Amino acid sequence: MNLRLHIWRQAGPSAEGSLKAYDVNNVSEHMSFLEMLDVLNEDLIGKGESPVAFDHDCREGICGSCGMVVNGVPHGPERKTTVCQLHMRKFKDGDEIYIEPWRASAFPVTRDLVVDRAAFDRIIQKGGFVSVNTGNAQDGNAIPIAKTDADRAMDAAACIGCGACVAACPNASAMLFVAAKIGHLAALPQGQAERDSRARDMVLQMDAEGFGSCTNHYECEAACPKGISVEFIARMNRDFVNASLKG
Amino acid sequence: MRPFREVWQSTIFTKWVMAITGLLIVGFLLGHLSGNMLMFLGKEHMNEYGVELRSLLHGAGIWVVRLGLVVIFVLHILSALKLSGRIRKARPQRYAKVTPQESTLAGRTMLLSGLLLLFYLLYHLAHFTWGIVHTDFYAHNVGYEYTLANGHVVPDVYKMVVNSFQQPLISVLYLLAMVFTGMHMNHAIGSALQTLGLTNHRLVPVLRKAGVGLSIIIAAGFSAVPISILIGIVK
Repeated sequence: MNLRLHIWRQAGPSAEGSLKAYDVNNVSEHMSFLEMLDVLNEDLIGKGESPVAFDHDCREGICGSCGMVVNGVPHGPERKTTVCQLHMRKFKDGDEIYIEPWRASAFPVTRDLVVDRAAFDRIIQKGGFVSVNTGNAQDGNAIPIAKTDADRAMDAAACIGCGACVAACPNASAMLFVAAKIGHLAALPQGQAERDSRARDMVLQMDAEGFGSCTNHYECEAACPKGISVEFIARMNRDFVNASLKG
Repeated sequence: MRPFREVWQSTIFTKWVMAITGLLIVGFLLGHLSGNMLMFLGKEHMNEYGVELRSLLHGAGIWVVRLGLVVIFVLHILSALKLSGRIRKARPQRYAKVTPQESTLAGRTMLLSGLLLLFYLLYHLAHFTWGIVHTDFYAHNVGYEYTLANGHVVPDVYKMVVNSFQQPLISVLYLLAMVFTGMHMNHAIGSALQTLGLTNHRLVPVLRKAGVGLSIIIAAGFSAVPISILIGIVK
């Protein structure tokens, strides 16, 4: 199939960017979206132009590195799928495809489709962990955990931190990411000791990074490649206020 | 312990203020609506209600409610302005193409519908409470009086409402405002429950639907009065 791409090109963090049109021909429907971009890049390099920069690593939908907004939807039209696992059979000959980076002031563009997601790392550093004394590994069954709790923790832990929730949110809010990280540890006994300080510190860091506030549109859940539920946001809202009232 | 100032300035705390004041406003609207429905029971009921409202707790009741409402509305509006200012800064560069998946038009235009409703609220108060617009229909100005069954002579609120809404322009303004009220409520109620942290799997989907239903009931209920007057059912 032949496609016309409109890709955001930006030479550097402070450079002016703009959408540029590219024609890609003979695209196989079996290619992944990123492989299609690889073909374009080979072509650009051959012509002596600079290739389109985009983040990627595992290309099997589990690392959270890749991500771009495809036709107005983060990770493209297929639900619960990262853009690396999106295949060209979802498009048809003659399609025009708009490809843009995540847009948020907290995620500044580094180059083309690559954004700096260090804001997420700083939020994690504020409490996305449990403090454990060093020593021998504990017996796996020493702390019994109810199946429902373990399931909930696992649902939240599925978050790969790609940032699609921020990109999808009309307000560029990071609530789903932060809620998943807080909700994951809040569901487990190991997370209880630091539960209050975690909720408080991570939420305040999220605010400090300049993410927008949540207005409950649920675009984040729809865009999440791991299908994290907005229920975790409700839990975080409760946890944060609960922790704040305790002082 | 963190200073309370930090928590107080957080987005989630501001959202709680927004949600709680919003739900209180919904409660007020339901009370207001039930009062309006007396228009369908006739002159006697409506005018009696008007007098009783003003004489609750020897006349102090209405002022307590008014003061409460002012506080609620001011907190709701301040929270909205604070959060929307933040949101504007969070995405300086807009997308060339946006394809909404879950969000609704009503949800995305909350700030716009909210601001329009604020103007409407001031107009509505100027019309029926302060009597500074449409003064030709304001009961206290033009001396509409009504004698209740118990012999008391009271302002004829019923006539004031009917005469006002018989003017098509006034009715259309009110009906338009009710469209925005419905839209605002449509997103608001379910959203407030999420912000306050409701997670019950059986209850939440029901309450979200109930919130949408309630928004339609409120908008349709308030609209029923001007429509009935306009087509002559109530006169």
